[in-house]
Amino acid sequence: MVDVVKTLYEVLGGKILRHEVIRDGVVIDVRPEDLVSVVKGITEGLGGIYTVVVGVDGRGIDNTYHSIYVFSLDELKTYVLIRVRLSPEDPKVESITPIVKGANWGEREVRDLLGIEVLGHPDPRTLILPDGWPSNTYPLRKDFSYCERPRLDNPGSNYVPQRSEEVVALPYGPYHPLLHEPEYFELHVKGETVVDVEYRGFHVHRGIEKLGESRLTYNQVPFVAERICGICGFVHNVCYCQAVENAAGIEVPERALYIRSLVLEVERIHSHLLWLGVACHVLGFDTGFMHAWRIREPVMYLAELLTGSRKTYGINLVGGVRRDVNRDSIEKVVKILKKVKEEYDHFVKSLTSVKEVVKRLEGSGILPKSEAISYGVVGPTARGSGLKRDVRVDHPYAAYKEASFRVPVYSECDNMSRLLVRVDEVYESISIIDQLIDKLPSGPIMAEDVEVPEFREGFSGVEAPRGEDVHYVITGRFSKVYRWKVRAPSYNNIPALKVMLHECPLSDAPLTIASIDPCFSCTDRLVVVDVLTGRKFRVDLRTLARRGKL
Amino acid sequence: MSVYRRSIWVFHLNTGSCNACDIEILDVLTPYHDVERFGIKLVASPRHADALLLTGPITKESLPKVIDALLAVPEPKLVIAIGSCTCGGGIWYDTYSTLGGLNELYRVLKEEYGIPEPPTVKVPGCPPRPEAIIYGVALALGIVKQKYSTTKVRVE
Amino acid sequence: MSRLSWIKKALEVGVVTRKYPFEHAEVPEGSRGLPEFDSSKCIGCSACANVCTPDAIRVVDDLNEGVRRVEYFVGRCIFCGRCAEVCPVSAIRITKEFELAYKDEVRFIIELKLVKCSNCGKPFTTTRHLNHVLGKVGEGLPELMTLCPDCRRKSTVNSFITPVGGTV
Repeated sequence: MVDVVKTLYEVLGGKILRHEVIRDGVVIDVRPEDLVSVVKGITEGLGGIYTVVVGVDGRGIDNTYHSIYVFSLDELKTYVLIRVRLSPEDPKVESITPIVKGANWGEREVRDLLGIEVLGHPDPRTLILPDGWPSNTYPLRKDFSYCERPRLDNPGSNYVPQRSEEVVALPYGPYHPLLHEPEYFELHVKGETVVDVEYRGFHVHRGIEKLGESRLTYNQVPFVAERICGICGFVHNVCYCQAVENAAGIEVPERALYIRSLVLEVERIHSHLLWLGVACHVLGFDTGFMHAWRIREPVMYLAELLTGSRKTYGINLVGGVRRDVNRDSIEKVVKILKKVKEEYDHFVKSLTSVKEVVKRLEGSGILPKSEAISYGVVGPTARGSGLKRDVRVDHPYAAYKEASFRVPVYSECDNMSRLLVRVDEVYESISIIDQLIDKLPSGPIMAEDVEVPEFREGFSGVEAPRGEDVHYVITGRFSKVYRWKVRAPSYNNIPALKVMLHECPLSDAPLTIASIDPCFSCTDRLVVVDVLTGRKFRVDLRTLARRGKL
Repeated sequence: MSVYRRSIWVFHLNTGSCNACDIEILDVLTPYHDVERFGIKLVASPRHADALLLTGPITKESLPKVIDALLAVPEPKLVIAIGSCTCGGGIWYDTYSTLGGLNELYRVLKEEYGIPEPPTVKVPGCPPRPEAIIYGVALALGIVKQKYSTTKVRVE
Repeated sequence: MSRLSWIKKALEVGVVTRKYPFEHAEVPEGSRGLPEFDSSKCIGCSACANVCTPDAIRVVDDLNEGVRRVEYFVGRCIFCGRCAEVCPVSAIRITKEFELAYKDEVRFIIELKLVKCSNCGKPFTTTRHLNHVLGKVGEGLPELMTLCPDCRRKSTVNSFITPVGGTV
């Protein structure tokens, strides 16, 4: 860590007011007016990749608002958290979106939910709050109660369809047979070619962050975190627990770390198989879909065997895990996985030998490497664009240090390479599980004396099946969490669809959207009520529903 | 529910669920559980459906769409609520952005639209395992009887 | 590899479909289903309600009837099994039951008699809880235990103060 701090001082010099080393990262305080130049220094000088923007209502701590910009320094294997403190009366900060494209959503989210004004933002539309949301009402401020339900004045306004001779706006969602989640994409098409895409999601917002900061105690939050997403829920669960453990300085017993890694990999296998199936389904290749889900079913059985539930495993608490694995179940894991691997091998070979599938996948949905860096994309989407980023290697957690595995990277930047990344990862996951089972240490599974001191910061990243998932936590009083920020992988990946869908034939659009494995329920955890506010027009909910339904 | 002697077609509507219930619904359709053996089929439009599968706690933003979809299902219709979120609101039963479950939706339907409650079966679980969903459908079709009922015990 | 390989594979695998509901479902050991409440053991301490994330278990004191109501609502349960973990008297057992679909709401309610404060007469806990705590404490301070928290505090304070004149 000393090296990291030294490097930071070398690059940024006197702009750092003070620094604090936390587990897995360094927090540096800078003056609001220095922010843009500091961010420039981090991205250009140190190769930092944008991770997340966190807004904190710190009036209960030091009577200021905080805006925290997190960058991942993959080479130095650490995160750097740049914090600016803003006045409690009139919080204002310069936008960094002009130099870091990925920060677009993050900054708008901070403005919408905490009322921190972002100056000079290139796209200052409301991202989150609906029309008619009362002004000066910010849900994540501490004076807003989690169960408050403000009345919306005049929700939705007049629907004015976009009129243009050539470009037609085509709705895709919110309820589309191919999307099993309510999301709305508006594809702007010219003939058969997509020229632009507008994403309006945030239908699945359930007020999770606010709930975690108010009604629940810190040991109840893991169960909520798990329900951020039903497919990769355990990732959020682990990530939250790690963030709190990092904040409180809790040492988790080794066996618990192994169990976490084990279950994370089982989850990855199930998620990738699920995605492969859905991808086949999107291609109209239902045979592949059925086979993929047939292979996946024993993995679900495995998950239930190890954790007691097919999904939403619920075995994590701050300080360790609740449920041990026994010899019997481990033997079954090894046996079942061997069978799964054989079946999977056959499946992959058959799939890649179907000419139509290959033709649809190759060369569609291109995301060039430079754009991938700028948008800060994560996971298979990044690795399919030639970026070697994997939290398991860059910021090792749980028991991943103990296993050796390859990070598959493909540089064709198309849908095929994203598929191949996932295909390879399943093999790696199976190998990781085998290695971990061989080394599984004995001992306790829960740390003794779990105590969480107040107002400590913790940050943690976990490699979800869809990419890097990060959680930021400030611990609070009375065993509660003061601030809990979740950044799911799809949150960084979805904005990059704009690039992937550009100039892509309409028929490839659903596949390309599916190729990032978008997880909307993860992304939407924060947003309040949605009214479509497109670039040129607005649609009220009922019109939207009618347009999108069939 | 004798009206459903034959195959029922279902439309799946995610009202803000975390996906867990949705993937279990898909699981029910895939080889291991294959509900098509009962003639149950997932359709792409509520207008083709006999039953509506609801998942999620019904977020405020999805409410108008849920109502529209519910109205689009022709009579006689059936609602099958999958998962604890829909049945009783789940963890989010009182948060600011959800309605908190199906009962609240029915209240809104009755008060604001004057629509009576459609016949409903609720399948709790987080998520309910595929067998539990099949059991719920069987209950809806009147093949099986409800296994549990409210009990009240007073002790000293 | 030809496209026929898919068909070959399908034939090779055969039928994997489980017969449920016409046969028993195979649920692995330790799977978490419906919690079972043993009313003969429950002491009404509300530990389960405190850890319950979705508030599926609620504990409410009904002062009119003089009972504490422990109410479990199956339709909100997330089946995490935390309640069984924290129960001090093991009155909750996690079963593998999953056939929980219902048309009419299912609630399991246990009503426990409240005990009144021997000083002010306000009900403050259940008889069983008090007996449980008395059993743990043993000989010490039994008369203090029959007081409600408020009266107990006052009584403790009074015992430290030597009256000089007037009353406290």
